[in-house]
Amino acid sequence: MTTTLEPSTQGTGTTTVVTRVRDRACETPTGVAMRSKEKGLWRETSWSQYWDDVLDVAHAYLDLGVQRGDRVAIQSENRREWLVADLAAVAVGAVTVGLYPTNPPAEVVHVLRDSGARVLVAEDQEQLDKALEVSAELPALEHLLYIEPRGIRGRYTDARLTSWADLLDRGRAHRAAHPGAVEQAMAQTQPGDLMTLIYTSGTTGAPKGAMLTVGNVEATIAALTGPAGLLDPPAGPKDLSLSYLPLCHVAERIFTTWNNAATGIQVNFAESIDTVPENLREIQPTFFFAVPRIWEKLLATVQVKQSAASTLKRNAGNLGLALSAKVATAMEANGGKHTAGSRLLHGIAWVLVVRALRDRLGLRRVRWAGCGAAPVSVDVLRFFMGIGVPVHEVYGMTENTASATANRPGRIRLGTVGEPHDSVELRIDEGTGEVLTRGPATFAGYWNRPDATAEAIDADGWLHTGDVGVLEDGRLRITDRMKDIMITAGGKNVAPSEIENAVKVSPLIKECVVIGDRRPYLTALIGIEPDTVGDWAQKQRIAFTTYRDLTERAEVKELVQGIVDGVNAGLNPVEQIKTFRLLPKLLDHEDGELTATQKVRRSALAERYTPLVESMYSKGARS
Amino acid sequence: MTAVREPSKSQTPAPAEAKGRRPLGRPMLYTQYGQDMALLNTGAKKVAVGVLLVVALLMPFLLEDDLLRLLATGCVLAIGAIGLNLVTGYAGQVSLGHAFFIGIGAYTAAVVSGDPEDDRLYGLGITFLPVWLLAGGLAAALVGFVVAPLASRLRGLYLAIVTLGLVFLGTHIWNEWDAVTGGVGVGRPAADPVLFGVDLSRRTESFSADQQLYLLMFVLLCVFALLGRNIARSAMGRSFAAVRDRDIAAEVTGVDVRRVKRRAFVISGFYAGCAGALLFSITGYLDPSSFGLLLSVQFVAMVLIGGVSTISGSIMGAFFIALLPRLTRELPEYLPFLSSSATQTPNVFQVETLLYGLLIVAFLLLEPRGLFGLWIRIRNYWKAWPFSY
Repeated sequence: MTTTLEPSTQGTGTTTVVTRVRDRACETPTGVAMRSKEKGLWRETSWSQYWDDVLDVAHAYLDLGVQRGDRVAIQSENRREWLVADLAAVAVGAVTVGLYPTNPPAEVVHVLRDSGARVLVAEDQEQLDKALEVSAELPALEHLLYIEPRGIRGRYTDARLTSWADLLDRGRAHRAAHPGAVEQAMAQTQPGDLMTLIYTSGTTGAPKGAMLTVGNVEATIAALTGPAGLLDPPAGPKDLSLSYLPLCHVAERIFTTWNNAATGIQVNFAESIDTVPENLREIQPTFFFAVPRIWEKLLATVQVKQSAASTLKRNAGNLGLALSAKVATAMEANGGKHTAGSRLLHGIAWVLVVRALRDRLGLRRVRWAGCGAAPVSVDVLRFFMGIGVPVHEVYGMTENTASATANRPGRIRLGTVGEPHDSVELRIDEGTGEVLTRGPATFAGYWNRPDATAEAIDADGWLHTGDVGVLEDGRLRITDRMKDIMITAGGKNVAPSEIENAVKVSPLIKECVVIGDRRPYLTALIGIEPDTVGDWAQKQRIAFTTYRDLTERAEVKELVQGIVDGVNAGLNPVEQIKTFRLLPKLLDHEDGELTATQKVRRSALAERYTPLVESMYSKGARS
Repeated sequence: MTAVREPSKSQTPAPAEAKGRRPLGRPMLYTQYGQDMALLNTGAKKVAVGVLLVVALLMPFLLEDDLLRLLATGCVLAIGAIGLNLVTGYAGQVSLGHAFFIGIGAYTAAVVSGDPEDDRLYGLGITFLPVWLLAGGLAAALVGFVVAPLASRLRGLYLAIVTLGLVFLGTHIWNEWDAVTGGVGVGRPAADPVLFGVDLSRRTESFSADQQLYLLMFVLLCVFALLGRNIARSAMGRSFAAVRDRDIAAEVTGVDVRRVKRRAFVISGFYAGCAGALLFSITGYLDPSSFGLLLSVQFVAMVLIGGVSTISGSIMGAFFIALLPRLTRELPEYLPFLSSSATQTPNVFQVETLLYGLLIVAFLLLEPRGLFGLWIRIRNYWKAWPFSY
């Protein structure tokens, strides 16, 4: 077994995330690669254990007959087996395809059929059932591997099933019989080889598989963790991160799998998305990437708990946060760095509330905080800057392996997504205002969709991002998605996401969808946040039963009207939301209203709530 | 999962941190259960205990002798209170007979250390402290072992009444067995605290008697408190709690209820015996009337006021009760109608007795978790800062 820990003599080949893990296992075999919480304890996995498991599973893949270029699909929550299954596939030259654990069977069948996956790694009975339900339509699917045996072992008789434990045994047997087979496969890998298919979330139309090569991934790793990368000094083995966003999304794959392999950062898997606040407090990560929804939720937690605190605590908190707001203003003007004055104010606020607050939020030790994957409101970022956690907004998409631009420490400008990476060329299309990027991280095309590929990458190699933006002092500001830009009946161009984000700053609002394309004026469908509004209603002694009942209360409508009026006050008359309706239910992925990444499918929403929308444009609807 | 991990664990080195280390500054990140169960599981606790120890060791050089004597008594009472808390607080077996066990310890120690030349009283003449301390403890533990079967047959109120009976039984024996106790109104000398040839109850060149006694009792309290805490946080303590919360459920989960109750009484008896042996070596003299119902009630008060099923609460309660007389003595200065003489009414001794009752009632009504509960409230207030929950 020790022989495998030596750097392979053939290891002069292409650097991949797998060779990076192998090298770490040689250099720091006992170092902590990751932690996952089991029965209340954070169990550690060392680099050598990690590498050992990757080798076992890679050998098992060879034993199953997985060939170079075959697709291996993984549908699981974030856990160490996800990383092992992924890296083992890359080791033998296969292509990893990630599925969201929330994907319903209809989407599972699309992704599995489209990718032609031969192997599926399913987390548990729930995920396995989805695949089995549709497996008749998937002739290419030969092997079904499952990680959690509960409910499966002894009950399911499908011949394609193999448990994770059996898989490891099989791998060990193969490893004993064919030592070095995996290392040989690794040495054959070329930078142009396909490494993973990442399916776009598909706000419009069916998801497409973006092909990322080994070279794309290495380019992104170099851009984000290099000397001019996200933070200086770069992340290292002493840093901790929390992994909780879906691993099949390019952002989390970067921040969990690739960052871990490239920098040695200790990855900690959250128990589930619902336990993120608790896990954050336990882990106190030094490196924290979150989507806007999480930042908004953290801010809402502060606001709600703050308003419910006893008088003394509330007053101390208000004073501390007022100081923080001043700190934020000073830091914002200084690129996210402290000035002498802001440092002093921050010191006072630190003693008053900020230290305790950051401890409670789990941000006490954060050294780099990032936000991306969706537009975020400046007010949210400003709050966190005030408590000494400057959030660096980053920009990228699956099609350029998520490396386009980033705010750099000390050069933050809120509202922009920062400066392009050194390896990335970026320009704005003169005609349409579309953001175009070019560089080594630009993807190889869409899987089996040359038509879509041709639309995305032009003859000169420029990737059409579909986002509209402007450059300010070399920093990019994204206005909106190109297809979301609305032209009102009056002929005005309106970017809805800015208005929507301004409304969503309120902790009482969960969703806001602005409508107004080819309409006389703007309206909005608004979804309230059940926890905070329910809390508010209880304090106001408003009786309610269900979510729908709550949305129908006149008081709640008044409350939301107040928020909308507040936002309207800062907008041009054409951009103001003239009237709105509350959505009668929480939007849901299962119902096709949201994508797996919780983005709103506008078309589905417009279709489903047509009467509601039309009622806002009928006579007398405008208040 | 775990079954999968085992084989490769044996082949590859485990992470260095698996040996109980964890990333710095993350008190809520546990990589082993031991970290959660540790005696001093947070940094704040380590600092606080360290500071307390230093302050306690400086006391003899800062305070007057009469206060030191009071604190020494407090230390001994704390040992007894921990014993009662183990059986009543942790194991849930209400015992009003604690005074009986205290008496057994006190008289056993007195007999072991007593003067063999004296014709009137029994005495073995072994004045070496550890010997008579252990003898007192073991004798009371043995009685605890004998009494324990009562607890396996009776519960709650009935057990309380029966243990109350022990106190009266004891009072009768102490009153009548003159050869051991010296008889009512006469009494006998208590055990002599002699350690390696030095009688700690007599002044030496560098320390006064009270300084020596305080230090002795404080060290013994530390030993017994540590022992109690370890009993409470180990498998035995968990089985105590299981029996307390629901004995039938405990039995179903594999706890031998009879054995647990027996252990609780034996351990509690041992603590009481040791406390009894030490308590009177401070004053040097003991009288049969000391072991009445009032002593039992005082111990119950210590546990309830301090905090049920907490070791630190028992200590707080014991010191509170020990220092209470001192506080009531000051009362006549502020409340002129109170007398400090026992022959007049109302007097401070009556107030003192009343206060035990009132405090028990007040704590049970307002803060059932006792002084420890008050501390928890204060701690949680700051822990939740800047929120309320």
